[in-house]
Amino acid sequence: MKLQLQHLSKRYGTKYAVNDVSTVLKPGIYGLLGANGAGKTTLMRMICGVLRPASGNIYLNGKTIEDLGQRYYSHLGYMPQDLGFYPDFTAREFMLYMAAVKGLDKKEAKTRTEKLLEMVNLSDVANKKIRSYSGGMKQRLGIAQAELNDPSILVLDEPTAGLDPKERVRFRNLISDFAKEKIVILSTHIVSDVSYIADTILMMKDGRFLLQEPMATVTDCIDGKVWEIVADSREAAEYSRRFSVVNLHHENNMVRLRIIHETSPAAGAFTVPPSLEDLFLYYFGEEAQNERSE
Amino acid sequence: MLVRCEFLKILRKKSTLIIMAVSLLVTAFLFGLPVLQFQTYNKDGVLKGTKGIAYEKEQFSAVSVLLTNEYITQTVREVQELFKDPNNVGYDGNEQFLIGDAYWNNIAPREKLLNTIASTYAAPGESAGYNKLPDLDITGGGTDFYQAREDKIEKLLNTPSRELSEEQKAFWRKMNSNVEEPFQYGYHEAWTTIISSFELLMFALLAICIVLAPVFSGEYQAGTDAVILSAKYGKTKLPAAKIIASLLFGLLAFTLHIIAAFGIPLAAFGADGWNLPLQAAGTTVPYPYTFLQATLISLGVVYMILIAMISLTLLLSAKMKSPYIVLTVLVPVLFIPIFLSPDGTSGIYNQTLFLLPYRASMPEVSKYISYQFGSFVLDAFYVRTILYAALAVIMLPLAKLGFKKHQVS
Repeated sequence: MKLQLQHLSKRYGTKYAVNDVSTVLKPGIYGLLGANGAGKTTLMRMICGVLRPASGNIYLNGKTIEDLGQRYYSHLGYMPQDLGFYPDFTAREFMLYMAAVKGLDKKEAKTRTEKLLEMVNLSDVANKKIRSYSGGMKQRLGIAQAELNDPSILVLDEPTAGLDPKERVRFRNLISDFAKEKIVILSTHIVSDVSYIADTILMMKDGRFLLQEPMATVTDCIDGKVWEIVADSREAAEYSRRFSVVNLHHENNMVRLRIIHETSPAAGAFTVPPSLEDLFLYYFGEEAQNERSE
Repeated sequence: MLVRCEFLKILRKKSTLIIMAVSLLVTAFLFGLPVLQFQTYNKDGVLKGTKGIAYEKEQFSAVSVLLTNEYITQTVREVQELFKDPNNVGYDGNEQFLIGDAYWNNIAPREKLLNTIASTYAAPGESAGYNKLPDLDITGGGTDFYQAREDKIEKLLNTPSRELSEEQKAFWRKMNSNVEEPFQYGYHEAWTTIISSFELLMFALLAICIVLAPVFSGEYQAGTDAVILSAKYGKTKLPAAKIIASLLFGLLAFTLHIIAAFGIPLAAFGADGWNLPLQAAGTTVPYPYTFLQATLISLGVVYMILIAMISLTLLLSAKMKSPYIVLTVLVPVLFIPIFLSPDGTSGIYNQTLFLLPYRASMPEVSKYISYQFGSFVLDAFYVRTILYAALAVIMLPLAKLGFKKHQVS
C-alpha cells in the first residue's frame, strides 16, 4: 500500500495553510509534528477527502482518491480534532450508526462495535448517553469509531489533546495495537506522544514539510548541537538571553541548562544525545516554547 | 439500513418530540376552534356545541334537495308571500326583514339556502340575504336560477379589474360547463370548515421544517461532518438516505397533523355532504368537484408544498453552517405572505402571492385564479402543483450535492 501526496497546497486568503507538500507514505506510524497553525489539520483533512486541495493530488496505489471515491474511503479511518458526537446517542448506538455509514453489514457492525468498545474500555458505559461522557471517554470513542472498518489508513488528528498523562499513555498503547500493517498518521504538537510509537517523523512549519525522517535517525541533524551546562543563576540568565535554552533545571543553588547551539556555548558545556523534543525546539524555537508554557 | 438510521436519528431527538407535540396541539386547537365556536339559533336562543350541531343537521334535513328551477321558484314565492303580510315584516331603517313566527318557522330552518339563492341573483361583490328575494320577478314561467348563475359568472369574468384574457375566460367557461345542474343541496359544515382552514396547516409545515433544519447543518454544527464525510457512504448513500428519511418523516408527521386537523371537524360535524357539489357553498364556484374531491385536490397541493418546503429546508441545511440560519430564511418564506393581501387576481404581485406557500395552501375555489402561458391557461391548483413539484425536483439533488461538496474547515 502506498499513499502519495503530490504537490498539495491549500490557501486561505493570502496565507498558505499547506504549501506544496509532497511525500510517499507506506505502512507504519507517522508522527506529524508542528506548532499550532503549521498546517497539520488542513493536511489531514485533505488526506481524508473532506477538504479539497487548491492544487495537487493524493494517490492511493497510483490512483487519485477522487477516482477511487468510496473505494478510498472504505480504506480510511479518521479521528478529527474536536470530533463531535450526537449527545442523545449512546456509545453503542453511535458506533452502530458509524458502522452503517462505513458500509459494514449488521453482523459485522455488532461484532466490531463490541470488540472495539471493549478495547477502548467503554463496554461498561456503552449504553450511557454520550452527553454524560468525559473528554477522555469521548476521545476513546473517537478512536474506536475510526477503527470500525479496520482501515488500512488511520488518520488521527491531535488524539491526545485534553487527556491527562495516564490516559495519554493508554492512548499511545491503543494506537500501537491498531497500527499493524497500516499507514497511521498521528498529528500532535505534544512531542512525547509520538516519540515512543512513531516510525517516521514528519515535521511541518508554515504549511511545508521541514523534514521527513525515520524516528531512529531523525535527531541526527542536531547531533553535537545539544549542550548541557551547569551555571549559577546570574550566568543562567545570561545564557538564556544569548542562546536557545530548551530546558532549565534548578539543582541546589545552581541551574542545569540544556542549550541548542552549533558550537559550544561556553567553557564547561558538554554535548548530550539529542531528543525529539530538542529537534522540535530547534526548528520551532520561541513558537514552541510559548505553546509549551501554555 | 441508512434510511432507517437517519429516520431514527430524526425521531429520537427530544426536540423533535417536543416540536411535534406542540405543533399537533396547535393544529388540533386551530381546527377545533370552529367546532368550539359553532353556534346556531332557534326561538329559545343560542344553541352551542353538540346540541347546536344536531339542531343544524335537523334543520338541513328539510332542505337536502335538488335545487331545480321549480323548487327555487316555489321557495322564492313562499318568501315573497310572507313579505306580503305587514305583520310579518320588520324594518331597521335600512332594509326589511321577517319577524316572529314568520321568521322562526319559515326562514330560520333554511336561511343558509335562501341566502345562497339570493346571492346568485346579486351583482358580483354584493352580498344579499333572503330579504332580497321579494325583489325577484317570478311571474310567468318562474325564475331561471341557472341562467342567473351563468349571467353572474359572465359578469365576474368580465369584471375589468380581473383583467382576464379571452383565453382565460374561455378556460373558466369550459371548466364551468362541466358543473352538473341542478345542484344537490344539503348539510356540509365539516367540509366548508376544512376547505376554509387549509392555511392553518402552515404551522405544521413550519414545525416539520424546524425539525428537519439540522439534518445536514446539524452535522456541521456538531462537528460530525468530518467523520461521516470520510466514511465509505458519507458522500454517496448517506445524503440520499438523509433526504429519503427527511421526506418520510415529513410525510408521516404531516399526515398525523392532517388526521388531527380534519378528524376534529369531521368527528364533530359529521362527514355528511362529502358528495355534494362545491356549489352548495357558493353557486359561482366554477369547479365541477364535490367537497371531498376539492378537499383531496387541495390536500394534494398542500402535500406538494410540504415536499418543496422540505426540499428547501434540506438545501439550506446542506449549505448553511447552523440550523438557526436555515430558519432565518424559512420563517420569512412561510410567514411574510400572511401579512400580504392580494388586491385582485391578476398582475405579477397577485399572481406571485397566490403561489407563495401560505396563499398556495388556500384552495380559494371561487376566485377564478388562473395563469396564462402563451395561449395555454392553467388554474391555480395545476400551477401550484407543477411549481412545487419542480422546486422539489431541482432542490433535492442540490441538497445532496451541497452536502457531498461540503468542505470541512
